[in-house]
Amino acid sequence: MQMTISMHQLRRLGLLFLVVLITLGGTTSCKSKKKLAREQAAAEYAAKIDRATKDLTAILNDETSWTLDEKETRLATIKSWNLQDENVLALIDQVDDKLSRERAEASRMAEEERLRAEEEARRASEAAKYGSIESQFMAIAGAPDVDAANERIARTISLFASPDAPVLIIISQAGGFNDYDRPTTIGKYLDYLKDQKVYSNTIEQVKYDSNGKITELELIKK
Amino acid sequence: MRKIQIILALMIGLFTTVNVQAQDDISPERKQAIDSLALEKVRDLSKYVSIIGSKNTAWSEANRVIDRAEELFMQGAEMGVSTLAKPEVDYYKVRQYFERLMRLNYDRVEIEWFKIEYVSDLQRQPDGTYVGVITIFQKFKGYDKEGGLVYEDTTKKDITVYVKRKETQIGGRIIGFWDVLLGDMRVKETSK
Repeated sequence: MQMTISMHQLRRLGLLFLVVLITLGGTTSCKSKKKLAREQAAAEYAAKIDRATKDLTAILNDETSWTLDEKETRLATIKSWNLQDENVLALIDQVDDKLSRERAEASRMAEEERLRAEEEARRASEAAKYGSIESQFMAIAGAPDVDAANERIARTISLFASPDAPVLIIISQAGGFNDYDRPTTIGKYLDYLKDQKVYSNTIEQVKYDSNGKITELELIKK
Repeated sequence: MRKIQIILALMIGLFTTVNVQAQDDISPERKQAIDSLALEKVRDLSKYVSIIGSKNTAWSEANRVIDRAEELFMQGAEMGVSTLAKPEVDYYKVRQYFERLMRLNYDRVEIEWFKIEYVSDLQRQPDGTYVGVITIFQKFKGYDKEGGLVYEDTTKKDITVYVKRKETQIGGRIIGFWDVLLGDMRVKETSK
């Protein structure tokens, strides 16, 4: 009887031991998995800090070949990691400032380029618009003799409201205002081209009357 | 109280002087443009002299060019004329000089101006006028009916130039312009 109990107890003890063993074993395994995951996460975090530090420093020192857009995308990605590293946060602030300045400079340059292109287009358009008048002036200056020049003068003067239409010649432009030569008239100016045999100005502005005749001409020295 | 008044008067005087000084100053770019403009007027005159002197120029054309040339000069300006035949230099009023030039007793005349340059840069005078001196060399050649060269000389001449800022109204707006006027043309030397 004593023996039977012992065996029974032994079986129960064994079972209990097995349960404890399984329980303990399972807990240990779960604990090591979590630890592993923590370690992995920490390593990933450290790697991100390292990556972020390197990229941000490279951007600050202009050591990348990235475009401004690429740099901004990179900064946004780094910000999205929400790294709470003091050094990285300081670098983010500095890069933010730097990229803001670069973006402002890029915008300024783009605006300047747009204005330059606009001005070029305006000049090209005016050159085309005034091309026929310019070519008349050149023809007078290049006329082979006085008769030919006079014939061209007569043709050109018909474009104007009167031979006394004023001609202004800008000799310099500074600070938004013009310096002119002594004003003359189209009649005298065309004779001047005939006499001097050279046309060294370009047309800056032309004013017309309701009949399409020129009432005022503004030239600028080349 | 009197001291304060004196200090105030001095400060007002100082500011006024500085303001006038600032108005008088022109940038190097504008000064360069004025220098070039005055030189250009002398070059224009060079061409007019050549046209007026040429025997190929019709009388009416020559008279028209004389009018244009005369407009380049100040009232009362004189032109020096020299010849190798005598040491004296004769001076004529501008119109008279051009009319004599037109009637020179040669069958063909060649007049060329060269080395046109400043000998004295334009300097601002107290009245605001810029005054300078431009020197030119004139090569004159006179030919007879057979085409033979009968007279030639080279004359160095100095022309005083006056440039003054003026204003006029055109099309309802005020136009500020630099008026260049030539003064006397003095003969400095004549050689063969």
